[in-house]
Amino acid sequence: MRIAVLLSAGRHPVSGKPTLPRTEAQAIRMAAGLGAATGLHVGPDAFPAEAALGHGLDYAAHIACAAGSDPVGPLAARIVSDAPDIVLAGRRGQGGDETGLVPYAVAARLGVPIVPDAVAMRPATDGLVEIDQALPKGVLRRLVVRTPVVVTVHPAAPPPLPFAFGKARRGSIERIAAAPTDLAAGAPPPEERPYRKRPKMMRAAGGSAADRLKAVTGEATAGGAKVLDHQTPEDAAKEVLAFLRRVGVLAPASAAGPGRRPAASEDASRHATS
Amino acid sequence: MTRLRRDPRTERAAARTSGAERPRYDLALKAAPSRRPRRDPRAEAAAQRVPAAARLRLDRSQFGAATVVATHVPERQTDKASPKPIIVENPDFLVLVVPDMAGGRLGEHDRQLFGAARELAGKTGATLALVGASSADLGPAGADRVAVVARDPDAYDPDARAAEVVAAMRALDPKHVLFPESADGGDLARRVSVLTGEPLFTEAEQVSASALGRPARCRKVEQRSVPTRLISVAADSVASYSGAPREARNEQVDLASGPAKTAGAIVSATRIPADPATVPLALADFVVSAGNGVTDLDMFRQVVAALGATPGASRVLCDAGLMPRAAQVGASGTVLGASCYFALGIAGAPQHLQGVADCEHIVAVNTDLHAAMIARAGLGIIQDAQLVMPAILEELERERRETGT
Ligand SMILES: Cc1cc2nc3c(=O)[nH]c(=O)nc-3n(C[C@H](O)[C@H](O)[C@H](O)COP(=O)(O)OP(=O)(O)OC[C@H]3O[C@@H](n4cnc5c(N)ncnc54)[C@H](O)[C@@H]3O)c2cc1C
Repeated sequence: MRIAVLLSAGRHPVSGKPTLPRTEAQAIRMAAGLGAATGLHVGPDAFPAEAALGHGLDYAAHIACAAGSDPVGPLAARIVSDAPDIVLAGRRGQGGDETGLVPYAVAARLGVPIVPDAVAMRPATDGLVEIDQALPKGVLRRLVVRTPVVVTVHPAAPPPLPFAFGKARRGSIERIAAAPTDLAAGAPPPEERPYRKRPKMMRAAGGSAADRLKAVTGEATAGGAKVLDHQTPEDAAKEVLAFLRRVGVLAPASAAGPGRRPAASEDASRHATS
Repeated sequence: MTRLRRDPRTERAAARTSGAERPRYDLALKAAPSRRPRRDPRAEAAAQRVPAAARLRLDRSQFGAATVVATHVPERQTDKASPKPIIVENPDFLVLVVPDMAGGRLGEHDRQLFGAARELAGKTGATLALVGASSADLGPAGADRVAVVARDPDAYDPDARAAEVVAAMRALDPKHVLFPESADGGDLARRVSVLTGEPLFTEAEQVSASALGRPARCRKVEQRSVPTRLISVAADSVASYSGAPREARNEQVDLASGPAKTAGAIVSATRIPADPATVPLALADFVVSAGNGVTDLDMFRQVVAALGATPGASRVLCDAGLMPRAAQVGASGTVLGASCYFALGIAGAPQHLQGVADCEHIVAVNTDLHAAMIARAGLGIIQDAQLVMPAILEELERERRETGT
């Protein structure tokens, strides 16, 4: 399986120095477990390609273009000519506009599906790949997807391999001059001003200190409490289990074994073409 | 027991006599009695009186023998019959809202999304919710119109959902389309953006009718723009709608004009629940927690495993080294995102309750009827945790035997 990893020119959030965004370094590690991986960077500076070599790639291509030009066109053109099975990208950029739109635009340009927020990938049988997608609250969604596919990597994926200087020196970078593209295509850059931290929204809190304390401890929403006094422990246990079943965190008594609800199957096969 | 605070305004309002043109009050009406039982010192003294004594002698150890129980407490007159919904008959424009509605219910983020939508719609516009299944919460959350799109709630087909939204945009021509910047919502927003070729204002933190704001360059700058058509709203930065409920009128939307259905590349999708034993406490969905009232921690761990929950603890146990620090729930520990919390022998200090503020369902077992944890709980059980824990294990074991597995 051949994999292309899209590399972006990130900035360190504190020092502002150029760095490879962490999710892209994680993507390199993920790619290493799947097959032959190459890096691909479009931009004025070769730095991200060099950093990617240190994190585990053997080869990366750097397509030079003017700062501020749209990278989607050159990226898509290169991917079409390379024809990898999987294109890996970070979830969001870091230090730029951070919209996370580039992988979607690339996928749309290539006409291939995109799967966001991968934490693990395994090759499956002929032309299929199994992708674990991270959902909120630690839940995973396991997808079986036809290649070629664009996949973005979630921060909860396995941590990146450490940067190795020797590896960065041994790897090779191919430098390509891009055809000049339309500079600043699309909307004009938005107005920018220094960031001002604003307080996070809190739950609707009233005026008095007691109201605010209630809001922060959740007492304001509590109510209708059922308090059971003078019960035998056995009756109490039955009540607790019945309550837990009612709110749906405990499997019903008839379900096999203790613990969680059975995995809900989201069978999407009816959407697939055959 | 806390004493009820008198509210002179409602008392006066309750004494108002109806029918008269001018406001008239029947001030002779008795004020509502407090809920505290009223002591009757005379009756108490009579009960304490030692009979057959020449002089008056009182047996003070007979305290409370004749306490007169409180007079009947009338239901409080909080006439909160839902106020009339606000109706926008002929809106100048529409704001399309695409909430996540995970599990068919409006989450906090979804409510904030409606708050942002109401902000953009103002007085003359209307918000239209595009949902998979209608919910009674949509009107109070701020939806003027509701369009229900029949879809399988369990299927995962993001491309089809994006096509749905694009079709709704073509049919309704909304001025703005709002998405939550969540895992699935943010994904949908970007898909719609590339499908329509329109720019998306991602992760908006400030939303008003005149401007949007978002952080960029690692939160070094703030980008501002006039409201664009496609907007995704960040969590916890916009207030949810707090006005009178909206109409939530059902609206039919013709989704036939959507883009051609592309061949699905997703062959199968399975949801894998998080492993409760390894999931970080902040992500866990069901937490069972022990406090100072629990002495048998081996038993506690067995109960946690049998219930399939993630273990937590109060600070006392963590400080004592009985539970790992990572298990501490509360202000200086972990703030839970769980939907259900089961507290065993926890008093419910404010620092602890801050950690469970977002939990929807709380069960508490405590020997103290007046513990704050019991007051906060949806089901409070006044019983010794040491006895309830083995009873739970036994009950689960009995059920397993009966179902024959
Ligand atoms: C700055 C600061 C930060 C703090 N942060 C946190 C925090 O993040 N998290 C946290 O938890 N605490 C925190 N605390 C500590 C907090 O104030 C309380 O001291 C602590 O939560 C009390 O823990 P507890 O309820 O387990 O113990 P206790 O207060 O001792 O309560 C034990 C409860 O168990 C009941 N009980 C006793 N025996 C039994 C029995 N056999 N069966 C059933 N019930 C029984 C008792 O009735 C009592 O209600 C903080 C304190 C400070 C000052």
